[in-house]
Order: sequence, then C-alpha cells, then structure tokens
Amino acid sequence: MTEPTLFKLRVRYVKRGRLRYLGHLEVAHTIERVVRRAGLPYAVTQGFSPHMRVAFSAALPVGTYSESEWYDLVLTEYVPAPEALARLVAATPTDLVPLEAAYVDIRAKALTAHLTRAVYRIDMTSAEGLAISPADIEDALARICDRGSIEYLRGKKTKRLDVARTLTAFSVEHAASGAFQITLDTHQDNDGSMRPEILLGALDAMLAARYLPDVELPVLETGIASFLCFSVAAIVRVEQSCEDERA
Amino acid sequence: MRHVYEDRFAEIEPLLNRVEKPSRYIDHEWGTLAKPDAAYRVCLIYPDVYEVGLPNQGIAILYNNLNKAEGISCERGYIPWIDMADEMRAAGVPLLSLEGAAPVAAFDVVGFHIPHELAATNYLEALDLADIPLMAQERTDDDPLVVAGGPSVYNPEPLYAFFDAFLVGEGEDLIVEFCERHRELKAAGLTRAEQLRELAKIPGVYVPSLYELVHDEASTRWGHTVPRAGEDVPEVIYKRVAADFGVTDPVPQSVVPYAQLVHDRLSVEVLRGCARGCRFCQAGITYRPVRERSADQVVSAVVHGLEKTGYDEVSLTSLSTTDHSCVKEILSRLNRRLADTGISVSIPSQRLDSFGVEMALEVAGEKKGGLTFAPEAGSQRMRDIINKNVTEEDLDRAVRAAFQAGWRRCKLYFMMGLPGERDEDIVAIAHLADHVVEVTREVVPPEQRGGIGVSISVAVFIPKAWTPFQWCAQLDDAEVKRRQQLLLASVKSRAVRVHYHDAETSLIEAVLSRGGRELAPVILGAWQRGQRFDAWTEQFELSRWLDAASACGIDLREAVQEPFPLDAKLPWEHVSPGVSRGFLEREYRRALEGKTTHDCTRDTCTGCGVCPTLGAGNVLVGERS
Repeated sequence: MTEPTLFKLRVRYVKRGRLRYLGHLEVAHTIERVVRRAGLPYAVTQGFSPHMRVAFSAALPVGTYSESEWYDLVLTEYVPAPEALARLVAATPTDLVPLEAAYVDIRAKALTAHLTRAVYRIDMTSAEGLAISPADIEDALARICDRGSIEYLRGKKTKRLDVARTLTAFSVEHAASGAFQITLDTHQDNDGSMRPEILLGALDAMLAARYLPDVELPVLETGIASFLCFSVAAIVRVEQSCEDERA
Repeated sequence: MRHVYEDRFAEIEPLLNRVEKPSRYIDHEWGTLAKPDAAYRVCLIYPDVYEVGLPNQGIAILYNNLNKAEGISCERGYIPWIDMADEMRAAGVPLLSLEGAAPVAAFDVVGFHIPHELAATNYLEALDLADIPLMAQERTDDDPLVVAGGPSVYNPEPLYAFFDAFLVGEGEDLIVEFCERHRELKAAGLTRAEQLRELAKIPGVYVPSLYELVHDEASTRWGHTVPRAGEDVPEVIYKRVAADFGVTDPVPQSVVPYAQLVHDRLSVEVLRGCARGCRFCQAGITYRPVRERSADQVVSAVVHGLEKTGYDEVSLTSLSTTDHSCVKEILSRLNRRLADTGISVSIPSQRLDSFGVEMALEVAGEKKGGLTFAPEAGSQRMRDIINKNVTEEDLDRAVRAAFQAGWRRCKLYFMMGLPGERDEDIVAIAHLADHVVEVTREVVPPEQRGGIGVSISVAVFIPKAWTPFQWCAQLDDAEVKRRQQLLLASVKSRAVRVHYHDAETSLIEAVLSRGGRELAPVILGAWQRGQRFDAWTEQFELSRWLDAASACGIDLREAVQEPFPLDAKLPWEHVSPGVSRGFLEREYRRALEGKTTHDCTRDTCTGCGVCPTLGAGNVLVGERS
C-alpha cells in the first residue's frame, strides 16, 4: 500500500488576553476543536485510538503572553494556505488567533526540535520608592548569569534553571519613568528552556538584597505572581525561531 | 440592587496565578450566547466547579432558550473551588458570572440547578460569596429572585428556606415564561412578595413562602406542606412537560470549554424518560413519559452539532439509550458518517442482554475498554423485589457475548440495603461476580485470561421521594458496614475487585431525600461549620452534619432509619411528577410479594398515572426490541 499524499501546514498563532491562563493541554485540545470546526481535511493517526495529526511548539508557562506559538497540522488534501488560514481564523477564539500559515515539507523536523530560539519581552515597573535604574537590572542579570543556574521549587521538587545554557543574550531598556523593558534571547531544546518568571524571581531577590535588605525573601517557585522590587505587567514570548536560520 | 452590573474581571485576574485550574474562571469560550446589552438578566448556576457543571444538559437547554428570548440575557456561574473561594473572600470580590464577570447579585434572577442531595451546602456557599442573603425571607427588592430546579427538585422541602421559588419539571418553556412574567411584574413596580404571589400562578412554579407546614397525626415526623391560609395557590404543583419533545432543539449545547471536563463531548439527548420501572429509581418516575427523537433527527443533530462545536466524541444520552426503538439504525448510520474522522460515539450505559452488547460493539470500534452492567441485586428474589427485570441468564449471555467480542474487563453495579434484603442476597452478589469470572474464563483463550478483570461496585440504597420505596427506611450505617464485610468475605475469585460506597455520605443523601423543612437549619449549620462540596469525598466531614443536626435537636441516623406508614401524608407530596399515589402503593406491595411489573413501552399501560395527569403520552418512533 502506498502512503497517501499528505501536507503539513505550519501555523503561527498568538496567546493573549485571558486565554494566556490556559494550560498547554487546554490549548492543544482547543486547537484540535478549531481544526474540526474549520472543516479542514485533517489526517488521523492509524491504529488503536485514532487521533488528529497535529503537533505543537514547546509549552508556554500559564499566564505568559505570546505572539509566536506554532502548530503543525497534517492534511490529507491540499487547501491553499490563505484559505486554510481564513477558515482557521473563523473557527478560533480571538485570543488564540492564527496569524500565518504556510506549507512545509511533510518530513520537516518537529516544531519542538526546530524552534531552538525563543525571545521574551518583559514589561515591568519598579516598586514605588525604589530608584532602580536599567543599569541596576543589567548588573543583577549579569551576576545571575555568572552564577550559571537558579534553584527553584516546582511543587515540592527542587529544580534547577540552567541560565548559562538557556540565556544567550539580554538587554534592558528604559521605557518611561520607572518602567523598563527587558528582552531575553534564549535557547531551548529537549534538555530545557528558559523560565522567565524564575529568572525574574532571581532578579527580584538580587535587587531586594540591595534595596530592601530587611525584607525576608519569598521562596522561589513556579507560578509566582508578585515581586518585591517591581511589578510585571506582561511576559511576552515575542518570537520562536530556528537558531541555525538566524539572519 | 446591592451590586451594580459591571465587569469586575480585573479584580479576579490577580488571583488567577494563585489558584489551580485558572481556566475555570476566565470565560471567553467558543459559543457563549449572552447578550451584553439586554435589559433583563438571568444567571444560571451549577452548584459545583466549572468542569463538573459545564457539561450539564439541563443548563445548556435553559441557557439556549433564555438567550433566544427577546430582551433576556442568560449568563452562567459555577462554584469557585475552595482555593479560589477563599482568595475571593480575602480580596473582597463577590461571586461573578462568567460571561460578563459581573456580580451575581446584580442579576434579575439567579437560578440554581439541583442535581442531587449533596449539593445542598453549595447553594449557601454561592449565595454567601455572591453577597445575597441566604434566607429567602431576608431578601429585599434589592436582591435577585433566587430560584432552583432540576432532577432533584422532587423533594424541595429541606431547601425551602433558601429559594424564592422552585421550577418543577422540564424547564424548556417554563424558565422563559417565568422570566418574561417576572420582567413584567418588576416593570409594573410590584414588590418582591407581590411578584412571587403572581409567579406562583404559573403552572410548575412552587413558591415555598406561600405554603406552610402542618404537623398532625396523618403525617410523618416531618409533617406535610399545605397552602398558607388565604393564599390562592394550588395544593399540588405538578411538573411541567415540554409541549413536544420531538421539536425541541436536539443540540442545545453551544459552549465549548477549554478545560478538560468530566464529560468532554457533544451530547445529544436521543430520548427522555424510562418506563422499565425499577422500584428504587427516582428518574424512572420523574422523567416520564417516554419520548424518542427520530433517527433522522438524531443523525442530523449529531452531524450538525459536531460541525458547530468541533468535539471528537458524541454521546447519545438518555436514561436508557439502548432502549431507543431505532438505536441500531442510529448507530450504524453514525458509524458510516463518522468513519475515518477519529470521532467516536458513546452510549452511557449498556442494557443487560446480548442486544446491549451488540450495541456496545457498534460504538466500541477497536478500542474496548470496559463494559458496565447494572444487575443492581445479586439474587433473583431481590431483583424481582426491585423490579429489575433481568435474570442471571441475561447477565450470563451478555458477559459471554462481550468477552467473546474481545472485551476483557467489566464492571457490575449493585446496591445493598434494599428493602427485604437478607444476608443470602449479599452473598448472592459475591456468587454472581464469581460466576461472571467463570463465564469469562470459558470464552477467553487461556493465554489471555490474565487480563480478565471483573469489578463490582456496591452503592448503599437510598430511598427516594416519588418511588415505590419512598416509605422505606435506610439501613443503618453500622449494618451497612457489616454487610460490606460479609460481601468482601464471600467473594472467592481473585479476579474480582470490590468497591463500595461510603456509608456516611449516603446517610446525608438519605436524610435530605426524605426529610422535611426542619432540615433547612441543619444544612445552614453544616455550611456554617465549614461544609461545602459534600459530593467531593475529601471535603466531606460527617461530624459537621451531625453537630449541626444535634444543635437543631435532630438525630440524623434515627431519622433515616424510620420507615413511614403507607397511609401517612409525606413531606413532598405537594410537588409532584404526576405519578399517582395508588400506583406507588401498588408497586410497593408488589415488591413485598416479589411480583414484577412490565414496561409500558413494550406492553400495555401499567397505570402509573403520569400521562393522564400531565396531559402527555409516550412517543415512540418505532417498535422497541
């Protein structure tokens, strides 16, 4: 039996608004339903428990915004990419809207292997009364990089974020009075990826040691929402791409 | 209004990072229907967390119908899980609706679903979070009308103090009539009490404050409820029945959740009602008469519903789907339509005969998990008492067929504590389970026998209002525990796994299912002592209930272990599903004599009284097998 001709559509979508609180599996589930609502000729796996052939880029932490999430959808018939995109847009909740769709080789590497670069933008404001400068933040980040890694708690388990391997570059810009924008250029692969909220927790601890020496530091763990020295308006994954194809 | 209708999502957003499953609270799902600009608003609340409540078909129907009505907007609400509820209290955020993230107290009507007895404390949890007075009599013109309805409305008395009105029976038309009338009365400037008095004139509406409790020789310890002197209200409120089930929207479901739910699929109600007449079963009485949708309607509803929602599974729901006269045709047509899509069809339970297995085979495809059968009792004597018209031969054939077809696991449901039960009936459950294992060994090839698994799940019988067993006592929990041990000791085969239900939650279910108005302060007391989410085993603490009851001078165990005299006036007889008392008495007597009663959809009328009383009748689209 010859393999029927299949087509791999690669779609970029966003995660924003309230829907950034969806977990990875919830998003995956939702997109499968989007594809069925869109009426696209999706392929299903063979065997015991057939399911849609769709694969996603690396999980985004709950609460993080993204302008660059991806999925690969295998189709059994060719549908012109603009038409497929239009049908997906019409069937997708606004805050997960797909922005581009293009065919890639059916044998193309999986997204999780292909997208080795992720860029994050963090919009933050320093806490009232603290005169934090961009140089302070850069300095603190540099010291965290020198340390190489950050220990944190995930539930009851102690984990280690390998900063040396995952953080390739960073920059800090002064946006407005007391407001900053940090850009993190990160490397991600099967062995791990940057967790911006953990890095921010470490940054907070570093700044607090200088600005708030009398305050007890909170335990560094996943899901942290508030910091001592600054507030974070948004963490945004602005780009995911392949490092080898960097311009 | 105590609260203004406004979007307060910004106040719960900071809490979302601190609670489990934030997607419970974010709304913005595909297919929501609320109308932000409507002048009249209803919030329908399921008394449990989002992922339990969202799949509810009843709420989906009412949500759909209310939003279709001119000028009415309907939103949804659920009970925040304890982590979120505590965060909301600490932050001073009231209970919010989903679609508009607006305070529930700012709606015109708040409607609760009554799924079962164990939701009782959650109504209070919701009202308290919403900043609505818990007691109906403490509410003023500034509060919404708080109403309730659903499958467990047929003894509303323990809840009478918390709700302004109960909507009894099928809500398709009733909810819209109720809200439209309320809107008129409100616009006309009537007070809350005047509005309720008018609303009580709508058939199917029970306004408990217009009725009072009478304790006399003729009634049980709970007394009985009659119209208050001078009130022009019916002595008996009969349930409403949808005018024509066949023309109701077969796909009321529109909201497609993000969260992964308990029942995460499209549901199409293929028939309503069941006339098999199991004597312990409340739904078997309260959902009568039996009405089927046509095969064409079901098939097109499934296809259309899947296109609209994008689900990958569809469940054909009802109390007994394999009883549908065209189930075979429906399943084979759906299998053809859905081939190669990865979409599966499921049916909620299997009929206990080879036809049931044949239908299970239709939907199973390659994937054969476990099959579930409900013999309900172990001995033929006991099955005759409960009118479960199946024999050991039926079970034998069903199991044989299932294991020949490739299934390797099955689950059998039983009850213990049924009226007239003896030790030998408990031992018979064990024997039946052992026998099933023997049958499976005969048909399964030797090399596959290691995979055989038979599990039996044994619930505690809970006597329910409006059933032939409504007069019966519940077995005391110490005796339940003894019989559970007897069962465990009687099972010989190691392939049988035994599960049984907690006797303590069963005690609370039993007291609420047959008790009266004096239980309202007990529910309040249990909630005040911290009880909520009773249906979640890890949240349930019997001591809170026992303390609350003893503070009210009530011994819960004594209450549930008391049988009612056959001629007593019962606490719930003013809220009726249309069945005649004579029929229930006759069925009770026949049970004691071990005589079975047939199913009126396959034979002559059995005289239950529902059809003439409600002006309705069975509607079958073919011959039942």
